[in-house]
Amino acid sequence: MLVGSLARVQAGRIEQRKLLRAEQPLPATTIVVRGGRDTLDKLRGHAQRTARAWSLDGQPLLGISVFAVLGIALEELLARRFASFRTIYLPTAGELRERGFELLATGQRPHYTVRLRRADDPELEELVAALGAARPNPQYGRSSTWREEG
Amino acid sequence: MYRVDITADLNDEDQTGYLWTFLDEARDPARITPGALVVAGDENAAAVCQVVDLVPAGDGTIVHLRLLPGLVDDYRALVDRALAS
Repeated sequence: MLVGSLARVQAGRIEQRKLLRAEQPLPATTIVVRGGRDTLDKLRGHAQRTARAWSLDGQPLLGISVFAVLGIALEELLARRFASFRTIYLPTAGELRERGFELLATGQRPHYTVRLRRADDPELEELVAALGAARPNPQYGRSSTWREEG
Repeated sequence: MYRVDITADLNDEDQTGYLWTFLDEARDPARITPGALVVAGDENAAAVCQVVDLVPAGDGTIVHLRLLPGLVDDYRALVDRALAS
């Protein structure tokens, strides 16, 4: 998609409903990747940034970004998109859904948004638990090019 | 610890396929112009990026960033080699 198409969305949040990819829900065993070492405050800030820019069905969309291991090997995804992160989280789609988090097929495949409802402390604590333990990224510093255009 | 030019969640990506954040999260928004090289992220995870464009959205301006390969430290080493006398 051309960057310019977003410019048509002038003042106001970018409505995501019509932009969601028409894909089947991720299988429960699919691994999703999130880079970094998250805290409640960091996650709250990221979720609020998303809500500042995006809406879903006309309401601010609280959410954080993850990438699913879809059509690409985990090691390759880590090298191409996550090489700047010393640590990563590798929950499965099922582990996120079991704790009540919806995965929205936003952006370009394999990007997803983990949707939050309130981004308050109890929900963020659930999210931290769902993300699991931070692990060393075996591809830290081994980056190659991500998308050629965007 | 990094001192970034613009705060961003390096996980974020939108329909363009680019990393994005808001212009008002820059230390010096005047530096954030299309084509500029900047360090984006936070104190723990940062990357060298190229500014692609700036787009009005929400109550501000979204900055699209092209994530460049390599670590910030790699670029420092590159510059050190280039400027070595």
